[in-house]
Amino acid sequence: MGEVEKTFISGLREKLVEDRVIDESQLEPDFAKEIVKHGGKDVMTCLQCGNCTGVCPISLKIDYKTRSIIKFCQFGLKKFTLETRWVCATCYRCYEHCPADINPAEVMIALRHIAIKEGVIPPFIKMAASNLLKYGQSVKPDPEIERVRRELELVDMPSRDKEYAKVVREINLLVRSTGYDKLIGIESEVKT
Amino acid sequence: MSSPEPLEERAPEGPKTPPAKDSMTPRIGVFVCHCGSNIAGTVDVSKVREAAEKVPGVVVAKENKYTCSDLGQEEIIKAVKENDVNRVVVAACSPRMHEPTFRSCIQEAGLNPYMLQMVNVREQCSWVHSKEKDRATEKAVDLVRMGIAKAEKLVPLEAREVPVEQSSLVIGGGVAGIQAALDLAQMGFKVFVVESEPSIGGRMAQLDKTFPTGDCAICILAPKMVELARHPNITLLSYSEVEDVSGFIGNYSVKVRRKARYVVEDKCVGCGVCADACPVKVDNKFDMGFGKRKAIYVPFPQAVPLKYTIDKDNCIHFKTGKCKACLKACANEAIDHEMEDEMVELKVGTIICATGFDIYVPMKRGVYKYWEYQNVITGLELERLLNASGPTGGHLIRPSDGESPKRVAFIQCVGSRNKKIGNDYCSRVCCMYSMKNAQIIKEHEPDTEIAVYYNDIRAFGKGFEELYHRVREEYGIEFIRGRPAKLSEDSETNSITIRAEETLLNKITEREFDLIVLSTGLQPSEGSKRIGKILSLSLSPDGFFQEAHPKLRPVDTAVDGIYLAGCAQGPKDIPDSVAQAKAAAASAASIMAGKKVKIEPLTASINEELCIGCGLCVEMCPYGAPEIVETDNGTKAKVVEALCHGCGTCVAACPQKAITANQFTDEQIASEIVSALGGMEGTNGKARKPAKKAEEA
Repeated sequence: MGEVEKTFISGLREKLVEDRVIDESQLEPDFAKEIVKHGGKDVMTCLQCGNCTGVCPISLKIDYKTRSIIKFCQFGLKKFTLETRWVCATCYRCYEHCPADINPAEVMIALRHIAIKEGVIPPFIKMAASNLLKYGQSVKPDPEIERVRRELELVDMPSRDKEYAKVVREINLLVRSTGYDKLIGIESEVKT
Repeated sequence: MSSPEPLEERAPEGPKTPPAKDSMTPRIGVFVCHCGSNIAGTVDVSKVREAAEKVPGVVVAKENKYTCSDLGQEEIIKAVKENDVNRVVVAACSPRMHEPTFRSCIQEAGLNPYMLQMVNVREQCSWVHSKEKDRATEKAVDLVRMGIAKAEKLVPLEAREVPVEQSSLVIGGGVAGIQAALDLAQMGFKVFVVESEPSIGGRMAQLDKTFPTGDCAICILAPKMVELARHPNITLLSYSEVEDVSGFIGNYSVKVRRKARYVVEDKCVGCGVCADACPVKVDNKFDMGFGKRKAIYVPFPQAVPLKYTIDKDNCIHFKTGKCKACLKACANEAIDHEMEDEMVELKVGTIICATGFDIYVPMKRGVYKYWEYQNVITGLELERLLNASGPTGGHLIRPSDGESPKRVAFIQCVGSRNKKIGNDYCSRVCCMYSMKNAQIIKEHEPDTEIAVYYNDIRAFGKGFEELYHRVREEYGIEFIRGRPAKLSEDSETNSITIRAEETLLNKITEREFDLIVLSTGLQPSEGSKRIGKILSLSLSPDGFFQEAHPKLRPVDTAVDGIYLAGCAQGPKDIPDSVAQAKAAAASAASIMAGKKVKIEPLTASINEELCIGCGLCVEMCPYGAPEIVETDNGTKAKVVEALCHGCGTCVAACPQKAITANQFTDEQIASEIVSALGGMEGTNGKARKPAKKAEEA
């Protein structure tokens, strides 16, 4: 059913949308166990007190509520959890305050592992990975930053060093042999 | 351990039944239980019965749907009588469950009750091997064979009886202790109540009103306190500590230290002239530090006994020797600065442990800033501020400026349901006391805006849900589902902003309040840890005392004759504490009313001829049961049977093999082992498998 408009008896026009019901077909059974397998703690013990959201520096600024993500995990709503989890800064403040001794930050990391495996990979992750292959660091060297570093009398970035090409080769080798390139989808960029 | 009452000498074996019958060649009856499908669902019971039938010495083997039922027991009695059985093997559940049942059953059939061998084929077989039915059956057969082998070696034993002292000790004078003492005294038993504070009353005396009905706490408690003090059967030892307890059920001896209160109790009339004269003012512990009291004091006006006490730590006389203002003021010459602690010895039959709880103290550098912001207080502090006889006369004020707060927030689950601090449990009273206090604040100041930050509301008791409804309907108390994340204080107004996620809105909220009340939970009291050691009580994972069985023996402890009442066993509200106190009193009374108590004969006994009196058993015993005595044949060990739990530690330790554990003799255990290894020693050498090797070994 598409979105249609309907006029009710009183003349009130309301948009009708598809049934907003979450049925079982949308639930992933044993999602909590999958999270445990990927290094998170058991989300089923969460009391849903909301302390994690309250202390989260990200939750204040954008529509991201630590507690509700944990609730999605408890419920098995996998598809709700795979896309926005990269905003977590893993500052671990939620872990510090959690009375149920769950570690929401590590649950977020586990969700990232799951997302990557499912092929839900945001572009910036791919970008960082190919930077790693090219420059040996996930951030692309920026002449402006290097100028500022010199001004502040900081040592040069290691990537400026000629010898560093060897390190980059080793990184490429590691990426290939661990299968990381296939996982992220950057096989073509690896030079060995 | 002091020496208990002399026991009756060990009676000749098996006097109740014709001795000939028990000592005759073993005629064993085996009864295998289905336990519905608990056993029969996994183990092929018929196979087990058939295997048992074939074992020499077995004259009858039967199976029952429920051996413990009336029908099952009748069948045992019938089979014993018909087949002249003199030893019974019951293959069923754990002996902890039904051993006493079957003992009295075979006693009815004319056997000595200890000619019974239980074989546990439920907990130790069918329940743990539910996925391997064939092997479970095989194991059950083996277990039954072992049981039969041991049954052959059983000897009749007699339970001993010891007299029970007709008095009880109640440790702790809170509402639970008071109720238990009154009930026992009413039944005619002597009761000693030991309270460490100068007055009885405990935590309930500190409360303003009680939930959910709103009765004034001290108004309903004070009459009971007075009744206790006046009761002819009760001796109140206030300002005293239990120092040592020894003995066993029916025969405990207790050492109590009566701390010097420097006021002669018999002479003090509680007029208070001394306190008027005293120049020292200190924080009143009873008012949670809000009000002041003198160095000579009664903790609160309704105190029982109404006798003054000198607080030695703050008294000028004890510091410099210069002040005797109270001594001069007292017309009755009640004050005695030279008084010393006094030791009292009591003889009691039973003990009720009602040592209560402590309030959780928020962390020093915690999120809720209890130690940093003046306007953050605990629930019990609020009780004192609301109490008409409290430091403010019942007028609620903010500690920072003495103004009456217009916006009050309660924060629930502080110190409860928190794995980080190790208090996993729910304290069971905080939801309701917060609602009750919110209602009282609204009644005093209807304009006050009140919010309760909760996580889950637990309104499970009688009338609790109705109170939850009432505070929303009549008083408009707001309930916010979320655990506050951050408190920040306005440096000028000292008001506090709470940041929390309103989880039902999925929004982060910030709101300002004048006063924050932390609904702090309950935890085991400091004193109860000490008492627990003295009484050798075990603790449950939450740190409170462990009851003997969570459902069926909720007031008993693992130590016979010691009972639990009130919050010593776990967080409780007042009705539950009183109910448990009454249950504890009834349990204690049931022992004392019997005048005598049976002591299990499954104890260690010492062969005097072999004993060399080395004393190793005395050192090893965790219960203090053996003692060294001088006899005509030299120094020997002797076991006080009532103290012995039959654990077997001394049996294993004895270098002379002079100690035997009744019903677990070396011979009996060995016969089980031989049978398990395949040999059937004592059954005409018949064996399931080549047994020679086992026997040779």
